[in-house]
Amino acid sequence: MNKVITINLDGTAYQLEEGGYDVLHAYLESAATRLQANPDRDEILSDIERAIAEKFRSLLGSHKTVVATKEVAVVLAEMGPIEAEPDTSENKGESTASESTKAEEKQAPGGGGKPKRLYRIFEGAMAAGVCNGIAAYMNVDPTLVRLAFVLLTILWGTGVLVYLVMAIVVPEARSPEEKAAASGSPPTAQEFIRRAKEGYYEAMKGIPDRNARREWKRRFKRDIRANADQWRYNWHSYWAEHAPVHPGAGFALPLLSLLHGTMTILWVCTIVSLLTTGTFFGLALPANVPVWAAALLLFIAYGMISCPLKLARRACYRGLGQPSWIWSFVFLLDAVVWVGIVAALVLLAVHYFPELREAIHNLPSVVHQAADDIQTWWKGK
Amino acid sequence: MSVNEKFSAMRKGMLEFLLLQIIAADRVYVADILKQLSATEFTTQEGTLYPLLSKMRREGLLDYEWKESEAGPPRKYYELTAKGREQLRETLEYWGKINGTVKKLGQK
Repeated sequence: MNKVITINLDGTAYQLEEGGYDVLHAYLESAATRLQANPDRDEILSDIERAIAEKFRSLLGSHKTVVATKEVAVVLAEMGPIEAEPDTSENKGESTASESTKAEEKQAPGGGGKPKRLYRIFEGAMAAGVCNGIAAYMNVDPTLVRLAFVLLTILWGTGVLVYLVMAIVVPEARSPEEKAAASGSPPTAQEFIRRAKEGYYEAMKGIPDRNARREWKRRFKRDIRANADQWRYNWHSYWAEHAPVHPGAGFALPLLSLLHGTMTILWVCTIVSLLTTGTFFGLALPANVPVWAAALLLFIAYGMISCPLKLARRACYRGLGQPSWIWSFVFLLDAVVWVGIVAALVLLAVHYFPELREAIHNLPSVVHQAADDIQTWWKGK
Repeated sequence: MSVNEKFSAMRKGMLEFLLLQIIAADRVYVADILKQLSATEFTTQEGTLYPLLSKMRREGLLDYEWKESEAGPPRKYYELTAKGREQLRETLEYWGKINGTVKKLGQK
């Protein structure tokens, strides 16, 4: 039994076997890519679709309604490869052909992609992107690397120095290739970047009409998004494949959520206590520490403590392995736990902490104080 | 390398000339063109033909018209423009010259 996919070619619906659909889709995709620089791209593509539709029509009859995979392949072989500009650009045609084979060669060996390189990565960086780059290189969470640097600074005082040296020595990942090399991303990512770079500007140059250009842009963005999704999917399936499956993860996840949630409640209470009374539950602050600095420290402390919990929860997600019915059950449980925690938090706040309203009232003045303090500090400098 | 392979680039280059020739004789659609060429050394495929035809139309050598077919949806019928006819005339002349040169060279 084969799955059948219905497609629309030139205004008529055709039913193809799934394999045939894949082949046809790949053919039209590659045609679109090759014609990217062609101003008549859309027209040629619709000509081609029409020609394919006509061939399909001749294959089908009143008793035969589905085009088989083999038949699709025969039709496409009859159509032949799409040639970008048959005569004017002999050299160009050859060079793109060799480029694409080169790209295929690059991807071919084991699908492993290029070797990784250490770069600084600015996307999502906190300072110069050193930790981010190391994390991508070692395939771990950037927060862990940052934590390591902080520990290095606290324990031996060398973290800052190492960071500064690395910020100067390690190159920054500027081009998309470098960014891909920084994390040794899966081949689809590279393919997506290569295509994007090759096609986009070339095609933009070739389209004279503003509306057509907008349409092309829109379509391009959609393709990119689809590619990015594919990339993300690969990434996830990579993890799902490589992480060992722990049956206990399903139980651990809601428990961890509970722990995390309790911590959050505790943290919120501390913040409330700090803002309303200026103390940690009656424990006075050192005289020279302003309230906003204490709140900031509290934020950082919470981040550091909750980080391992977060990581453990993420590990649980991975530990669940391939998506299955367990996933939906665990997620449901997890969601219930979280909703319960949030509801408890709100109820607690409303019933037992009239100070909460006070704290919210105080919030603007605290912010003002912080702004004033920064201003005087700046002027003092 | 066989003669066939050696001349593949030339055949490719001459395809445009042949299309002018075919379309000048009669209003045709792509399947007609393919059929006429399939009996010759210049056998080609839709994948090559459509981009070439659209390029020639962009250069103003030919134009098309939608025409109803007996069975199925309308088809694009191609015909030459005045510019296309002029180009065909020039190309034929040039082709004649080349032919003459090929025959003349090497003769004493």
